[in-house]
Amino acid sequence: MRCLTDIEVQAVVDDEASEEIRAHANACEACRARVSERRSQMETIASLVDADGMPSSALEARLRHAMSEASGVRGSTVLRANKPSAWRSVGLVSALATAAVIALLVYGVLPHFGAPTTLSASEVLSRSLQTISSGQGVERLEYEVAMDGMTAGPVVIRQVIDRDNPNRYKVASYRPDGTIATAVSQDPTTQQRSQLFHVDGTNYIVRVGAIHTPVLSIPQMAQALVETSIGIMQAKSDQQLTIEDGPAGRRYVVEIPPVTPQNPSATLDLFSARAVISGTDFRIQEFTATGTMLRQPFSVSVKLRTHEYIGGAVTNESFAITPGPDDVVIEGQADEDPITELMTTVLRELGRARGK
Amino acid sequence: MTTIAGSWMKAVHRPLASPATPTGPTPATTSTTVDPQAETLRLFQEHGTALYRFCRSVLRHTGDAEDVVQETFLKLLHHLQHDGDARNLKSWLFTVAANGCRDRTRWRLRWLPWTAERDDRTVDPIDEEVRLKADTTEADRARRAFRALAPRDRLLLSLRAQGLSYKDIAAASGIREQSVGRLLARALDRWRKQCVA
Repeated sequence: MRCLTDIEVQAVVDDEASEEIRAHANACEACRARVSERRSQMETIASLVDADGMPSSALEARLRHAMSEASGVRGSTVLRANKPSAWRSVGLVSALATAAVIALLVYGVLPHFGAPTTLSASEVLSRSLQTISSGQGVERLEYEVAMDGMTAGPVVIRQVIDRDNPNRYKVASYRPDGTIATAVSQDPTTQQRSQLFHVDGTNYIVRVGAIHTPVLSIPQMAQALVETSIGIMQAKSDQQLTIEDGPAGRRYVVEIPPVTPQNPSATLDLFSARAVISGTDFRIQEFTATGTMLRQPFSVSVKLRTHEYIGGAVTNESFAITPGPDDVVIEGQADEDPITELMTTVLRELGRARGK
Repeated sequence: MTTIAGSWMKAVHRPLASPATPTGPTPATTSTTVDPQAETLRLFQEHGTALYRFCRSVLRHTGDAEDVVQETFLKLLHHLQHDGDARNLKSWLFTVAANGCRDRTRWRLRWLPWTAERDDRTVDPIDEEVRLKADTTEADRARRAFRALAPRDRLLLSLRAQGLSYKDIAAASGIREQSVGRLLARALDRWRKQCVA
């Protein structure tokens, strides 16, 4: 066989040559040398391209933010999607939901940040989201929350979340005197959804059965907000780290200094934040922050009380609001829209009480 | 304004992800249970850096390269959300990114005032003192020669440097697969001549 052309030599280097050409390249000393030389040149080219470095860590945050805002519907002539459920409206995102969102961010995501001095923002983001998506089992949390303008004083939140089924959860808030204030629960297993309201010293529980496809849950809302929140935290490059060694072990204090809001009406933004992180398991013990959420300013302080994973002791009761002897239970039927469902159930009961 | 790029700037409209046999480490993801967002982020982790380097190499501008990478993955998300072909997504990504680079270059030519920095026909403006210093190393000469190559040569060599097969390079660059080897060989020869010039 004749010696190889430059194109054939290139094909050998690129592993695209035929068997016959490769055989010749191995057998012919001159061609082998040319292959070797060209391979070296291609390796140089590859090193030049690789020398362009890595994308900035902000790129991934930008991408996540853009993905969270990306809409599948574009243009003025396309059919509009159905009106979003009122469940998603701001009205139902109460202080309880907001607190749960923040708590999930604080105790579900930030604990997996790892050593803040060694991990890059991109690695932190990746690990955090991996942990969220790979979470398993039922988690029970108790924490103390104080929010300016939304609660009269610090409230205690107790929540149970089934990581394997985010639509299965129970969240309850308690006043400083220990009385329950509000509670929300949803369990696709029993097809029940319940809400508790404390009015004039009496607990009213609205319970509906045969729920259809479970609506967006608080943990799911948190999941959407977590990605945005992480993107914001990544964008803030002026974090300050302080290490405290005390009797209880090492603690890391991470602070984002206060900044002047550039967009006070942003859907979610942090103007300042401070987190106290355990040096043993990197779980956040305390978290305070100011910013905007759902275009409203907020100031929140969260302190973790207890955290545990529940093993085999999980029953359906764990996700139900159990009525006390003096509580009023109103039964109803599920509706596509939980707001309508709640109002319909209560008004129907009112009509019955009046004999109509 | 003189057009400085030829046919390589024509966007590729052939069906994407057409190869039946997946290449590279990307697995075939035809399952409908895959979450598009999670899959997009996974592919970003896997190919984001390579795609950025490719775009950076072609566009020679960090901000533009990141913009094209972001747009590419948003298009991927849209593609997956609408049950697009999930075979050989690596090739798909590079094809869309190459189209994005072409669009970006065209946009520069139409809307931006001429600057040496954005003109692909020139090498970067470097002060004489810096140039003399830079020319002292072989690596710098190689880098300058590479950046001075025609856009299509840089595109082809960059795609090959990221490990794409001739088939995938053909899909991404819009040239015939049979021509890829020849054009790569010539591009490399031109780069080598630039190095010693």
